[in-house]
Amino acid sequence: MKARKGKYFPFGAHVPGNKELSSGSMIEALPPQEFLTINVCQHIGAPAIPVVEVGDNVKKGQLIAKEGGFVSANVYSPISGEVVDISAKQNATGAMQTHITVKNDFLNEEVFLPNMVEITPSSIIERIRLAGIVGLGGAGFPTAVKLMPKDPVDTLIINGAECEPYLTCDHRLMIEKTDEIYKGIIYLKKALNVDKVIVAIEKNKPDAISLFERFDDLDVVILKKQYPMGSEKHLIYVCTGKKVGLGQLPASVGCVVQNIKTAIAVYNAIELNKPLYEGVLTVSGHGINTPKNLLVPYGASLKTIIEYCGGVVDDSVKYVAGGPMMGKAIINLDVYTKKTDSGLLALIKGEDDDNLPTNCINCGKCVSTCPMRLTPVLMEFYINAKDFKQAEKLGVMNCIECGSCAYNCPAKRALTQSFAYAKAKIKEINAKETAK
Amino acid sequence: MAEFKFSQSPHIKSGNSTRKVMINVLIALLPATIMGIVYFGIPALLTILTAVISSVGAEFVYELILGKKFKSILKRFDFSSAVTGLIIALISPANYHLYIPFIASVFAIIVVKMLFGGTGKNLVNPAAAGRIVAFISFTTIMNNFVAPNIACIFDNVITGATSLQSLLFDGTRLSTLDLLLGTGVAGCIGETCKIAILVGGIYLAIRKIINIIYPLIAIAIAGLVAVMLNGFDFGVFLPAILSGGLIFGAIFMATDYVTNPVSALGKVVFFIGYGALTSILRHFTGYETASFAILLMNLLVPLIDKCTLSKPFGYKKAKKEAK
Repeated sequence: MKARKGKYFPFGAHVPGNKELSSGSMIEALPPQEFLTINVCQHIGAPAIPVVEVGDNVKKGQLIAKEGGFVSANVYSPISGEVVDISAKQNATGAMQTHITVKNDFLNEEVFLPNMVEITPSSIIERIRLAGIVGLGGAGFPTAVKLMPKDPVDTLIINGAECEPYLTCDHRLMIEKTDEIYKGIIYLKKALNVDKVIVAIEKNKPDAISLFERFDDLDVVILKKQYPMGSEKHLIYVCTGKKVGLGQLPASVGCVVQNIKTAIAVYNAIELNKPLYEGVLTVSGHGINTPKNLLVPYGASLKTIIEYCGGVVDDSVKYVAGGPMMGKAIINLDVYTKKTDSGLLALIKGEDDDNLPTNCINCGKCVSTCPMRLTPVLMEFYINAKDFKQAEKLGVMNCIECGSCAYNCPAKRALTQSFAYAKAKIKEINAKETAK
Repeated sequence: MAEFKFSQSPHIKSGNSTRKVMINVLIALLPATIMGIVYFGIPALLTILTAVISSVGAEFVYELILGKKFKSILKRFDFSSAVTGLIIALISPANYHLYIPFIASVFAIIVVKMLFGGTGKNLVNPAAAGRIVAFISFTTIMNNFVAPNIACIFDNVITGATSLQSLLFDGTRLSTLDLLLGTGVAGCIGETCKIAILVGGIYLAIRKIINIIYPLIAIAIAGLVAVMLNGFDFGVFLPAILSGGLIFGAIFMATDYVTNPVSALGKVVFFIGYGALTSILRHFTGYETASFAILLMNLLVPLIDKCTLSKPFGYKKAKKEAK
């Protein structure tokens, strides 16, 4: 269908994209690694429980950790070989999580999921759950759970906004794997039993937009170049004009949002019987010698990925997993890729922010930027005064931590940081109060 | 491999900084400063130098007394005290009583700004407060304006009284062109040439430091209130807005970030209040009251902020469902 223009949501930031660093490079596969160290908690929810033991032989596509609850996801081995270690290791943010290390035997023996007998909504959802598919946009919420909303839905929105600067993996996938994405979308549509499918793509990807316009049953929406366009609530608003209420899920307005990469994973799981064990990652930033879009097995160490991309320049100072606006800084490179990763950035001096915060000058830039229309300046004031109740009243719990306020702050205040802190603190306080 | 830096997102930030904002304001004040020196000569230059140097000096001396290292003060210096000093000079009359801008600047920086915690912590606009201290302490000198030594285009030269005073007291009006250019208009150093002030305002708007809408609201409201107070005589509209420090105050002083409400609605309320108060106070006191209006509105900012909080995205929906 001919693309239509999306709405504009008030406020939000205008962040330089820096996408040209890697948007031209084809997706290539990382060469087979000798060791892969696979995290059992690559999603939101309960960690998966390892079902293999040290010394076991596993094949490519074999289940190695089983979902540990309703909101959880299976984990599969991306290579064939021997399990050499199961122990707690640091993840990218420093938390200790169980990792399964597999030594590659380079035999490439495969054992995939069985063929699907019939394709019905429930069998598709069951297959998605079995394949361990989670929301690959970054949150990592199990897709199968998301496909069983409590409210009736009528619209499926495919998020191809990729509003984070630097990241180009969704863009490359949309160009190179258009048909696979389309088929995945059709399965998702069937699973949700909806008529309307919207594919939302940001204006800066005209090639991807024209590729999707070919499909008659897709409603392509051209998004304005604005950050955070990929935020679920804002995406729904610009595509359908509906506003998701505070603390509500998208299903409350009849929408479900899925990522481009999730659609590919669904296609792989249903047509190729391939469980989710690898994904595309953008390796970029001015600190990387040759920025690339890489297909990596989950569990590859970041060090080997950076080495494959020609290493880093000398004055790179910061490594980020994910995009620069919402990604997490990495404490060391001996951590391993997981399902939710979409980028690995090396930022050089001057590219990252290294200014210490100064006094707030009350300029109101944060207020005129906040896409959730909160008042960051006052919220931060109360948080610094440890008055969490007042901060909650001002709506800090509605903060989506997009970083727009901190990005625009002339005083370089760590606004997002204090809101993340306050949100955790308020949850803690409220939990204590309900316990009383 | 270099050391790892660790911090919360976002990992990139815009190039905006307090120092850049203040330097931009200084640049925007340049046209008014230059025109002031052209019109009023050496006394104007001396007043400007005294005010700027004593403002910046006061900040450094205060920080040094607090035991900060000179280098770290220099590193954190954000030019806001220079802006304060320059504004104080530009809203003073040109004369050789240099102790007045000195006292005003030191008061503005030490009492109004630094004692409250430095940049961003002051409750009221330091320049406005400094001017008011000088005005109240040295009323005669502060009210004794000289006409610029450039001849008036139309020869109704007035010495001693500003166009505002003549407007308020004897109803004589200068031509609009004279008022715009400041030729033949007695007044403060930086406030007479409205064109120069507007050029500065447009520069600030282009650099997105201020939104030009708000000052325009204030100016329009001030004109309308003056019209109403004069029995709906629309002839006073232009003279009222082009006289005194209204435009200068609206563009450079009322827009001061620190003492402004944060939300767009709050800013509209603030600027309407500023414009209306200026005209009302002018009418009933017979003095230039732009600074007083700014000061009064500054004190209302926390209240305005509280009353004009924006509703979060998707708020209405939640309310409906709760019912």
